[in-house]
Amino acid sequence: MEGEGGLYIGLENGKAVEIRLDIYEPPRFFEGFLKGRFLQEVPDITARICGICPVAYQMSSAYALENALGIKVSPQVRALRRLMYCGEYIESHALHIYLLQAPDMLGKQSALELAAEAPEVVRNALRLKKIGNDLLKAIGGRSVHPVNVCVGGFYSWPDEKAIKALLPDLEWGLNAALDTVKFALTLPYPYLEIDYEFVALHHPDEYGVIEGDVLSSNGRKLSIAEYENGYIEEHVRHSNALHSRTVDNNTYLVGPLARLNLNHEQLLPNAKQALKESGIQLPLRNPYKSLIARAIELVHFYEEAIQLVKEYKPSGPAHVELKLREGEGAGATEAPRGLLYHRYKIDGNGMIQFAKITPPTAQNLPRIEADLFALTPRIVKMPEAEAVLTAEHLVRSYDPCISCATHFLKLKIEEK
Amino acid sequence: MTKVAVIGIGQSLRGDDAAGLEAVRQWREKFPETANRLEVRVEAGELPGLALLDVLNDVDAALLVDAVQSSHPPGTIYRLDEEELAAFTSDARSAHGWGMAETLKLGSQLMNNRPRIRVVGITAGELEMGAEMSDAVRDAIPRVCEAIEAEVNALLK
Repeated sequence: MEGEGGLYIGLENGKAVEIRLDIYEPPRFFEGFLKGRFLQEVPDITARICGICPVAYQMSSAYALENALGIKVSPQVRALRRLMYCGEYIESHALHIYLLQAPDMLGKQSALELAAEAPEVVRNALRLKKIGNDLLKAIGGRSVHPVNVCVGGFYSWPDEKAIKALLPDLEWGLNAALDTVKFALTLPYPYLEIDYEFVALHHPDEYGVIEGDVLSSNGRKLSIAEYENGYIEEHVRHSNALHSRTVDNNTYLVGPLARLNLNHEQLLPNAKQALKESGIQLPLRNPYKSLIARAIELVHFYEEAIQLVKEYKPSGPAHVELKLREGEGAGATEAPRGLLYHRYKIDGNGMIQFAKITPPTAQNLPRIEADLFALTPRIVKMPEAEAVLTAEHLVRSYDPCISCATHFLKLKIEEK
Repeated sequence: MTKVAVIGIGQSLRGDDAAGLEAVRQWREKFPETANRLEVRVEAGELPGLALLDVLNDVDAALLVDAVQSSHPPGTIYRLDEEELAAFTSDARSAHGWGMAETLKLGSQLMNNRPRIRVVGITAGELEMGAEMSDAVRDAIPRVCEAIEAEVNALLK
């Protein structure tokens, strides 16, 4: 009975009695590491929690600390933050769709096999992804761990010419993203329908990414500051990771499916049209089909990036001067993998007294395990190799944040 | 003129995982004549998974300096070509399941002129988040610098 840093399914008479997924290292280390540090260090430190979605960590922490200080960023800063987030979504979604999940759905061993058979598809995917990197680099100074975000705004405005120079690539990307939706619709998805409670940030005027309310498909609507009144993190015995549940003791789902189902009204026109033409009936409840949700979001974020690049005209200060005071603040933004919540307490000198970070994967973990339960009757009848693949494909469809030092999924089925 | 990228890879908050970054930093200080040559480009970063491909553009050869896991004691230095590297990366290390060997293979499938690759690997011991670099690895860094210098000079020829 040991997890081996992977997936463990315990069976009794062919029925799953226990499922443990142990793939994820929570950012507990960082919560301790941040204590006693100056608040302006926080965006850069938390960015290092994830090499794939550093912007999400920077943004959630910046908003939380701005709330603690009672400051509001300028509309220009807000627009640039959205543009930067577009870069992260583009990069992360292009990678996940083409290089991780599509090969799974097509029964390929990896993207290497896909690249051998359809080099153009993978070459385009890498270009789609690289444009996201370029956008991050133009705003953040570098693409892996951008350094320009600060509490109060940005350290400096990115060069207007460098930003505008991205337009031709972004326009190519929008078309390629529309093709990506068509591609996504051709893939074979295993049948699995789950009655999820979806949770995402919702904003009446834009596709929810920064600011707005925490909305649940069960009707619960909370401000970001009230998030912890609705969602609770707790320790479970088998895992280092904290598991989340709602106050009603329900598992819930964050991420692309939740966003699309709750926020499709706020998609930009091209993305809305692509959704309409896809013929998909919402809510989409098949976890594998989060690939389609990502594809539609890829269209949206290319479209939004084009808009924001065209409008980009830096003026006024790039950041608000901070007036330090004792306080507490929460912030949440939508990382590509789902809602990312931070809360901090600071003292009068701006030093961190307390930090809480609730990442999307912690919230989805109990849901992934529950989905695996739903899948087990089907996979226990399969030969072991096929069972491993089917379970892996499900886990990967969530795009979980897998710690860089954790070995990739190993499945162990034990008959009691 | 052969253009060479020297790429230090690692995560500086994770003990010996920082070895590649630290070695490239020290090599730059110790061998500025080589590091500052026009045809040499130095990069250092976390470079998860496919991000590696983005720094391989526009060079003829690349030297990757990274921590590796092996059955030998921490601090053991390896100088590898691409084929030999494959033995070290059967476990995907990246967040998206992309290890260095797979990424390089994808690069050779898709890039028109993927650079020649050499690797200097330092066997890691301590990889806990928040840990300091182990003494064995720290003591090995000067020898890693010598190895980098020799490799870069060989690639430049």
